[in-house]
Amino acid sequence: MDLGSILTSTLTDTMTVSLPLFRTELALAATIVLLLVCRMLPLARRLDSAFIALGGIAFATWFAWNDLRGLPGAPWGTPADGVVTPLRQELFGGLLLFDPLTAYVRLLLAGFLALYVPFTLASGIPDREDGADFYAMVLGGALGMCLMASANHLLTVFLAVEMASVPSYALSAVLKGRKAASEAGLKYAVYGAGAAGIMLYGISLVAGVLGTCHLPTMAVELPAIVGEGGGRTLVLALGGLMIAVGLSFKLSAVPFHFWCPDVFEGAAAEVGAFLSVASKAAAVALLVRLVSGIGEPVAEAAGGPVAAAGLAATRQFMVFVIAVLAAVTCTLGNLAAYGQTNMKRLLAYSTIAHAGYLMIGAAAVAALLGTRPEAAQRAVAALAFYLGTYLFMNLGAFAIVALLRNRLRSEEIASYAGLIRSSPGIVIAMAVVLVSLIGLPPLAGFVAKFLVFSSVVEAVRLSTAQPLMLVLLVVGGLNTVISLFYYLKVLKVMTFDPPGDDRPSEPLSLVSLSGALVTGLVVPVAALGIFWSGLYACARLAGRIVS
Amino acid sequence: MTAMIAPLAWVCPVFGLGPLGHPPGVSHYLVVGAILFVCGVVCMATKRNALGVLMGIELVLNGANVNFVAFASPWLQADGARSIGLDGQAIAVFVIVLAAAEAAVALAITLNFYNNHATVDVDRADDLKG
Repeated sequence: MDLGSILTSTLTDTMTVSLPLFRTELALAATIVLLLVCRMLPLARRLDSAFIALGGIAFATWFAWNDLRGLPGAPWGTPADGVVTPLRQELFGGLLLFDPLTAYVRLLLAGFLALYVPFTLASGIPDREDGADFYAMVLGGALGMCLMASANHLLTVFLAVEMASVPSYALSAVLKGRKAASEAGLKYAVYGAGAAGIMLYGISLVAGVLGTCHLPTMAVELPAIVGEGGGRTLVLALGGLMIAVGLSFKLSAVPFHFWCPDVFEGAAAEVGAFLSVASKAAAVALLVRLVSGIGEPVAEAAGGPVAAAGLAATRQFMVFVIAVLAAVTCTLGNLAAYGQTNMKRLLAYSTIAHAGYLMIGAAAVAALLGTRPEAAQRAVAALAFYLGTYLFMNLGAFAIVALLRNRLRSEEIASYAGLIRSSPGIVIAMAVVLVSLIGLPPLAGFVAKFLVFSSVVEAVRLSTAQPLMLVLLVVGGLNTVISLFYYLKVLKVMTFDPPGDDRPSEPLSLVSLSGALVTGLVVPVAALGIFWSGLYACARLAGRIVS
Repeated sequence: MTAMIAPLAWVCPVFGLGPLGHPPGVSHYLVVGAILFVCGVVCMATKRNALGVLMGIELVLNGANVNFVAFASPWLQADGARSIGLDGQAIAVFVIVLAAAEAAVALAITLNFYNNHATVDVDRADDLKG
């Protein structure tokens, strides 16, 4: 094969196959360039950068929606532009993968951005001067998160994690004059860069031992090497644990969660919303992708009994690591949330606890992979559904915190005392969000938690890791009870405690522009608890990555 | 120096990465990478100056880079082992660029921290806790 034909085939593949399925990311990238160019042009400077960002996000959401609708078996028939997307397609020579999970998480992220920019407009951070920088970093981070959801090669895994992290470091220090914000930025950057370095070293070990960086090829090579046992398996386990360090950092899983409460407290509530919703969704998608990619049963047929034993050992190792991290993360997050007096810090620990619930679901996926593919599909679907509801719940919580900060000049829980007298609407909205975060019916959080726990029950019944899954189920149930108290404590302060004297009694009504935003975020939380079949159909589609 | 490397010479064959003899194989490079990695981690854990911590991170990234480049060469591999080919060198180049970008952001954040606290001691970043 000569150079010319290689170039031609690469070019054809890029232009006809890869780029059309990459248009969501392209729209985001073009918006970033536009945002940065527009602030240099005198005439375009007068345009508010939030609207440029919103325009780009509208395109990205439209593309992501059409990609999801074009999938075979999508519940709404063929999309408007009539393009049918393939169920599984490697892009750019195997660096990225387009599949239902990619399409789902991309749509989730684009939809999140479409709600997030109006929220920042209503809450007033960033101001107009910083707007272009802020939105460029938000979109850049979201671009990295889209890549995390579609990574199919260890290089893209690492690059995507860094592309999502580096803008987040800068975002958490975006309030330049505040001591707490600069401290949050420094802590996040130092911890994050350290975790990324360790993850990269782990990637180098795994790639070197397996002789490839391409995830499906790794899945083929891995079982035989693990089945042989010996020193190479030790190196692989070490490398795998180092990669788990990087992923745990992104998921804010214990023991790599230290940054999370500090960053959430120090940074603006707007940044906290971005980190807690978008970053978590992408990290969970990457975890599911790595777990299902490595543990895929396709490789089993090739290598005989040694490979089968190796694959079983690999799965067992993954289930064990994820399950232990999940149980500890969940429990510690919920227990530490008790003594908090700052609302953002409480939400940070709540985020950690929810990362634990999501990892419980991921452990169920890993446990079910080998034995029951249909059940594993349902487990992935449960996670995808959880992420969808979590978007509305946590964005709603942070939006309320940000709007109350603008009124009360405080984010302490004590300053919310007696809020029900001046602004009852916002207290009801907060109640809906917090009760949904607990996971009580009839709200969206209940359905999500029910689906995740039912996939764990399936793992108890069907998988080989039965005792571990039973422990996870008990831990998850107990944690839900524990979490009841600290969420309800906030509501108790808001409704029963007498208001302080020094508080400006300016009410925050739901019948205003910012109030309408809160309503728009809270109504889906209640509605998805009852009419959840549409989102679940999408989530089931996302679950079809496991075969 | 020989006394320091002697235990490694025993460890590397145990891990199945080939002996530390003549001619130099991938193991020699892995030893260099591992030393860089450990130096970096120790640096990150012990330095109290934010710039020192950032230097430790650079050492960790470059330790991984040495591994990648060594794994990329087909002539260094032990018998029967696959090299990762050009992927390794491509990753190394990407990591160099990325380390520069990360250092730029981290230094800007450190400067901002200095403006607010008049120090770059990471132990002084203790306002947020609980």
